[in-house]
Amino acid sequence: MPSVTIRQDTSSAGGTACALAEAPRPAFARAGARIKPVERVDSAVMNNESVDENLPDAASESEQQRRERFERDAMQYVDQLYSAALRMARNPSDAEDLVQEAYTKAYSAFHQYKPGTNLKAWLYRILTNTYINLYRKRQREPLRTSTDTVEDWQMAQAMEHSPTGLRSAEAEALDHLPDSDVKAALQSIGEDFRMAVYFVDVEGFSYKEASEILGVPIGTVMSRLHRGRKNLRELLADYAADRGIATGTQSKSAAKAERGAK
Amino acid sequence: MDCNSLGDCADDRIVRIYEYLDGALTLDDLKEVKSHLEGCPECTEQYDLECIIRSVVRRSCQEHAPQTLKASIIARISQIRVESGH
Repeated sequence: MPSVTIRQDTSSAGGTACALAEAPRPAFARAGARIKPVERVDSAVMNNESVDENLPDAASESEQQRRERFERDAMQYVDQLYSAALRMARNPSDAEDLVQEAYTKAYSAFHQYKPGTNLKAWLYRILTNTYINLYRKRQREPLRTSTDTVEDWQMAQAMEHSPTGLRSAEAEALDHLPDSDVKAALQSIGEDFRMAVYFVDVEGFSYKEASEILGVPIGTVMSRLHRGRKNLRELLADYAADRGIATGTQSKSAAKAERGAK
Repeated sequence: MDCNSLGDCADDRIVRIYEYLDGALTLDDLKEVKSHLEGCPECTEQYDLECIIRSVVRRSCQEHAPQTLKASIIARISQIRVESGH
């Protein structure tokens, strides 16, 4: 079985990939109740975690085998990468290009991926890099939501409500917000903050994983998260107020509907 | 102790709640936040709110990639194989 045929592009993966492999970590539980100390798991559960012998040897597989493995393991994340790309690229067509480019790069570098490590995080890292290299530079068009508009909302918000933003009636309204409002709110916060929030809150990555994906220190992830969540809260509170309990907010709603349609 | 008197304290508490939900606390801190939540309606409200926000945001970001995208990725990949096989 271990007849190693060296091919031109497999050298960096080496034969140690399996030895270094670790079981994929589950996304952190979000509900507080689910966070508890690690308990012993019985062998039936352990069987779920792939053991080293079952992992493919990236160094010795053929091009054909690698391609099959890529299609089997990596292609399942296309929807998720596309969702993330929509948060980055601002229109579906660019998001598609971005995902396609990222997958092309990922396949070309797939021999460097260590089987058993977090493939999804690896793919997101490539997506993020691709985005930064390809799109961020040329995407310098002014944002539809100018900063002062957002500040106006925040000001109004601060005057109307307690500093923490929302009351339970609004929380109720928030729970029923249409997806379009939520996406528009998410899209309105600064990109760096948005992606930190996306990777941790939507995708469930740990701070460390998010820091690897975004290529910034953990402390930066945490401060971006804090600010991003705060901004998001304020914006969502505003949408919820309009939808749920506000009166006479016609013009604000109209402005947002227009922005949301963009 | 509850957090009705907001201010800076509230901001710190919010951060703790974030970290609590993120699974980023040590066990001791986790217990501390948990017991605080039990006695503080203000923070519990914030906690609930944060849970709602996260679930709403997650729910809203579940787009499906067009089938054509998947097909074109597969096509691109098979080209790469052909090229590097030369």
